[in-house]
Amino acid sequence: MYVAARGGEEAIQRSEALYHALKGPITPQLIQGIMESLPYLVDRVMGEASLYAPELAALAIAQSGGDLYEAVLLLRAYRSTQPRLGYAHPLTTERLFTVRRISASFKDIPGGQILGPSLDYSHRILNLNLLGDQQPAVSEEAPLPERPASPHYPLVADWQRQQGMLAPTPTHEASAPQDIPDVTRDNVLFPAPRAHRLQALARADTGGVLALGYASMRGYGLIHPTVNELRLAYAEVRMTHPLTGEDFSVGRVRVSQAEVVSNGGQHAPLLTLGYAATLGWNEVKLIAAATLDMEMSQPNPHPAHTEEFVMYHTEAIESSGFCIHFKLPHYVTFASSLDNLRKVISTFYSADSQPATAPAPQETAP
Amino acid sequence: MSRLAALAKPQTGYSYAFMDAFAKRELRRRMLKAVAIPGYQVPYASRELPIARGWGTGGLQATLSLVGPETVLKVIDQGADDSVNAANLRRFITRMSGCQTTTDALQATIIQSRHRIPEEILREGQILVLQVPDPEPLRAVQSDSSACHHMHADADYGQMWLVLYEQLVRYKRYIQGASYPSLVNGRYLISPSPIPRWDTPKLHRAAHLTILSAGREKRIYAVPPYTDVRPLEFSDIPFQVEDQRTWADERTGARYKFMNELPQADGTARYELSDTGYAEKLIAKQRGQAVTIGRTYYDDEGNFYHDGYLKPPVIPEQGG
Repeated sequence: MYVAARGGEEAIQRSEALYHALKGPITPQLIQGIMESLPYLVDRVMGEASLYAPELAALAIAQSGGDLYEAVLLLRAYRSTQPRLGYAHPLTTERLFTVRRISASFKDIPGGQILGPSLDYSHRILNLNLLGDQQPAVSEEAPLPERPASPHYPLVADWQRQQGMLAPTPTHEASAPQDIPDVTRDNVLFPAPRAHRLQALARADTGGVLALGYASMRGYGLIHPTVNELRLAYAEVRMTHPLTGEDFSVGRVRVSQAEVVSNGGQHAPLLTLGYAATLGWNEVKLIAAATLDMEMSQPNPHPAHTEEFVMYHTEAIESSGFCIHFKLPHYVTFASSLDNLRKVISTFYSADSQPATAPAPQETAP
Repeated sequence: MSRLAALAKPQTGYSYAFMDAFAKRELRRRMLKAVAIPGYQVPYASRELPIARGWGTGGLQATLSLVGPETVLKVIDQGADDSVNAANLRRFITRMSGCQTTTDALQATIIQSRHRIPEEILREGQILVLQVPDPEPLRAVQSDSSACHHMHADADYGQMWLVLYEQLVRYKRYIQGASYPSLVNGRYLISPSPIPRWDTPKLHRAAHLTILSAGREKRIYAVPPYTDVRPLEFSDIPFQVEDQRTWADERTGARYKFMNELPQADGTARYELSDTGYAEKLIAKQRGQAVTIGRTYYDDEGNFYHDGYLKPPVIPEQGG
């Protein structure tokens, strides 16, 4: 077999080896450590990859040396090779094992405000004592309550619906799972089905969603969000066994969900609701994403908050990949532009004519 | 053992040519539709591959769904077989498919390329897969994809003509560089991908099939064999390819092929053929080795092989 191998191939192999040489070895202990010590990082990567697999996510983080876009790409590329073996049953919010559930809309809510795990009210002080190994780390085990809190909570939105503040939940016939639009396997066209929008937000880049969501919150949006309900929870993933027909639990996954409301949206004077949910716990992403969901549904959103704009530009792998592709050689396209530039210069700036009669050439397309 | 891994079936390797059969089938169907409607951008469910998005994943998906063990593959980037990106894609495709590779455009059955079309005339049965960063030729005048979709449906390309007109008024020439917008089969406007204008005419009535695939933007389109491809031009001001007529390849003396300009410390420049596979053969021939060099799209006097397709430049009288 004739193989067209030349200098380039050796160069890229050496380059990759150098990258890996600059970080420590990847051991099972490291992967275990990442999985157990950095759950929020693992969650962020799993959410953006839309693959719930903490061990693989930890491996991806280790393998990429912590470059999160690379880690997400590793997981997504792995995900795209996996066959779809079945569909889980739909989840309802009330059935979640909720560990944190807060609402900014009311002082107190049915079921109560459950603060749960959070850094919200921590002092952001680096604990320098932990740097040296002479100081034993102080155990920060949370004390156990005398009686456990309820695992299940009603929705704040349900109370608002009873009060007539929110439009009733739209009713439609249940879809067969394989008929639910899937943004990872369908053509993307606009206006997108709601399933595509919510899936795209669920796997969107945290930073990208935050940037666009923050722009809306800061003043480019049409509506002011109120966090109606924010939840961190464990969800039991249930399926019907393909052979026995029995329902069984595949396991538990961390999930989070946010609902924001506004009285200035398209349902005014009723409240308008924005929704987002994702695999893993990622509060900042969901508040921004739920705000964007609300913005995108407005009749005339700001150009940066249209569905097409948000969905295209918050895609973690596409945006990061395209950005770094500009490192690739572009000398052919550049030569093509230079040819025009030289011709324009010779037309307008030839030795015997007055200079500065032509504006700077600007191309209209890349 | 209570670990899930212990209960799962053993990890097996990847599918042939990496993508699963459903994904490949979808790609093939989209390609057939693209061939049936020349120049029409067919949406497809672009899969995530183990190569960064925007680095040729669209072309790669097309190639992976076409490749077989009997394939002879050529991969180039900017015309070069040994460019790091071309090397990486070639390494991946061969690793996943076991196909053979070549640097000779005449030997290849599939040529995946970024930004170039080889200099030797491709023949029937060969497939050229062009990597496309942005499939939308209307992007410069309309950034909203849905609106562009409508414009294509109506063949509403007036704004593109206006852009050309404005260029003539300001600069007395068309200043679009690479990806020169072109009309396929008299109907759909395409971006021919960022190939230089030198390569755009090679698509016209070509014997080979050209597949253009944008992975990030999830659109695939085609120029079927023997299909008209016309760069947008006013009838009195013809489209011009890059003017490199004074440049000669320093190793072979070849002229009238697309060249790389290499700036030198003393302010001068050296020139080399952009098409490294072609250059390799010219050098081998000079050394007396037996090589088959095909007929080229442009002959040694710079004449394009379709007589009358390219016209001498006209500079408009009034401008500015």
